[in-house]
Amino acid sequence: MATKRTLIAAIGDDDTITGLLLAGIGNVDEGSEKKQSNFYVHEQHAQLSVLEDHFRQFTQEREDIAILLINQHIAELIRPLVEKYTQPFPALLEIPSKEHPYDPEKDTILKRVQKLVGD
Amino acid sequence: MSENNQREAVFPTRMALTNTKNRLKGAQTGHSLLAKKRDALMIRFRAILKKVEEAKLKMGKVMQVAAFSLAEVNYVAGDISYQVQESAKRPQLTVKAKQENVSGVTLPGFEIEREQSNEFSLTGLGRGGQKIQKCKETYAKAIETLVELASLQTAFMILDDVIRVTNRRVNAIEHVVLPKLENTIKYINSELDEMDREEFFRLKKIQSKKKKGGDSEQDTIDQGEYTQDQAGGADILDQGKDEDVIF
Amino acid sequence: MSVLGSEMLFFNVQNGYLEGIIRGYKAGLLTQSNYSNLQQCDNLEDLRMQLSATDYGNFLSNETLPLSTSTISQKSSQTLVDEFNYVKSNASEPLSTFLDYMTYSYMIDNVILLITGTLHERDTHELLDRCHPLGKFDAMSALCVATNVEELYQSVLVETPLAPYFRSCLSASDLDDLNIEIIRNSVYKAYLEDFYDFSQSLGDPTASIMAKLLSFEADRRSINITLNSFNTELTKEMRNSLYPQFGRLYPAGTYALARAEDFDQVRAACEFIPEYYHMFDGFSSNNTDSDHNNSLEDRFFAHDVLLNKETFLQQFNYAPFYSYFKLKEQEVRNIVWLSECIAQSAPQERRAVPTIF
Repeated sequence: MATKRTLIAAIGDDDTITGLLLAGIGNVDEGSEKKQSNFYVHEQHAQLSVLEDHFRQFTQEREDIAILLINQHIAELIRPLVEKYTQPFPALLEIPSKEHPYDPEKDTILKRVQKLVGD
Repeated sequence: MSENNQREAVFPTRMALTNTKNRLKGAQTGHSLLAKKRDALMIRFRAILKKVEEAKLKMGKVMQVAAFSLAEVNYVAGDISYQVQESAKRPQLTVKAKQENVSGVTLPGFEIEREQSNEFSLTGLGRGGQKIQKCKETYAKAIETLVELASLQTAFMILDDVIRVTNRRVNAIEHVVLPKLENTIKYINSELDEMDREEFFRLKKIQSKKKKGGDSEQDTIDQGEYTQDQAGGADILDQGKDEDVIF
Repeated sequence: MSVLGSEMLFFNVQNGYLEGIIRGYKAGLLTQSNYSNLQQCDNLEDLRMQLSATDYGNFLSNETLPLSTSTISQKSSQTLVDEFNYVKSNASEPLSTFLDYMTYSYMIDNVILLITGTLHERDTHELLDRCHPLGKFDAMSALCVATNVEELYQSVLVETPLAPYFRSCLSASDLDDLNIEIIRNSVYKAYLEDFYDFSQSLGDPTASIMAKLLSFEADRRSINITLNSFNTELTKEMRNSLYPQFGRLYPAGTYALARAEDFDQVRAACEFIPEYYHMFDGFSSNNTDSDHNNSLEDRFFAHDVLLNKETFLQQFNYAPFYSYFKLKEQEVRNIVWLSECIAQSAPQERRAVPTIF
């Protein structure tokens, strides 16, 4: 079921995306009209709806994404959407960014982990 | 909850009893198998849980190191972000799904696949090239950690689901199916016993009746003993008539 | 050109005030003790406090908390830009042209950025924010109108002072085919050569000091290009064409560099210049970045700082203007680096920077 999914997608700030792209995760679909890319840089003052659209696109519409990396502070902006997301594919992973060190408290998955360990 | 709700609607017959007993046995085996599966999954789950937590914390460190190396690049080469973002075309780092079997549950995992090409090799040609290459390596390593974590996390989520389903089944068998079957068996047994007792009592009654009759009409009984024994039940119906005959 | 004596006599008529300003600015550069204070900081708040005691003053005071390194970077380069603009607006010929030349290097980066954007058919207006403020020019927005590379090339030729550099080494079709980094470096090479020629036309002592500074810049580029081009698609001929045609390595050193195939050959090519040769000390061919604080690039930076510091030993020339802004640029880089280190609580030993004074 997951054989088609090979890409690592990313939503993040400028630095994080630059780093990840530098490592070579970037994929820009030149064929399509809209130039679909598998990464999205969320500028600080950009519209939330655009961010949400990208999140939906990466998690629901695209069939070729295996892992979606998202900066934690950006996930924070769309937390309800993130919490609602429970599919195993693509795997959603919250990652820290340069200016926002990792906070396990906020991680949706880790929250579940702790809940399970707790009881 | 009344007894009736907890048993199956069957006729209390010997056959039903055998069937139910077989089903009980099946349910017990199923229960123990499922419980074993659950335990196996739980062991796995705990291990993954621990790893997820570890990996999440490790990720924090790894990403920090990576961000740091990017800062180094910025120090030497200036801002390269736009250039990098625009020159991305084809991924060199992709993942491949692999599968692992734990007690009949396929756990997906991701394996990183790296293509050895140098897409950004000319970036920072004038200055900072070495740092950029280093940063690239650092990020590639960081992504390895991330991918590992992603597999763990996916496994975690799937296992979580499966364990929940298994748990529900185990509990259902333990608390619903088994008592129900046991109750059914009990019910059938008690009904059968009841019938046995009735039968026994009936026979006793007949016997005593016959004995009474034998005292007053010893002769007839003596004479007809053979025929009565032979005829069996037919005589029961005739008893009234017999008395009529006596009068 | 005038003889040395009259140069001294008349220099101050035009440039005395500005040279005074520059030397004043220079005195405000962070010192060793400032740096060691900065290195001790635990968070960016501390950093801001330490900096407020220096010439940076309250440059961060209006920022909302928490401070981010990008704000610090932005604000501190803004101080550099402000100083530059002040000097530039008061400058007269030939100093103003000299300062113009200094902006060209930023301009090249900006134009390259726009080219990148145009190549990928992005809205280049968004890119204006990303451009270095020193490299901005009036016609910049005109460049954004261009929708394809051909148009952009024409606008660059018409609108920018960079036209000669582009014309000399590229045609419009090259923009499409060549790697953007090769374009950048070819243009930069043309620019460096032109700047060199210009500074030589200013006569001594500017000429001799600038020759030293620009030669080092040229040599550094040559060495870096060589090192960074190993195992890439860059051919040796192409590489050779990117070396600036002056500097201490030119022509014998660049000739050797053009043929170099590994790190050791690069080192050998630099052998006859002791300063450069010593920079390679302690590196082996497969380990160019053994020590975090002391990579080759860092040594280049340190040497750059040293040369620029020496500039201030002579008076009555234009080189201090160049040097000061180079030093200031380095200082901004240092501050950003330190704030980066502090923000990520990096260990103290990694916080070393080439201190200036």
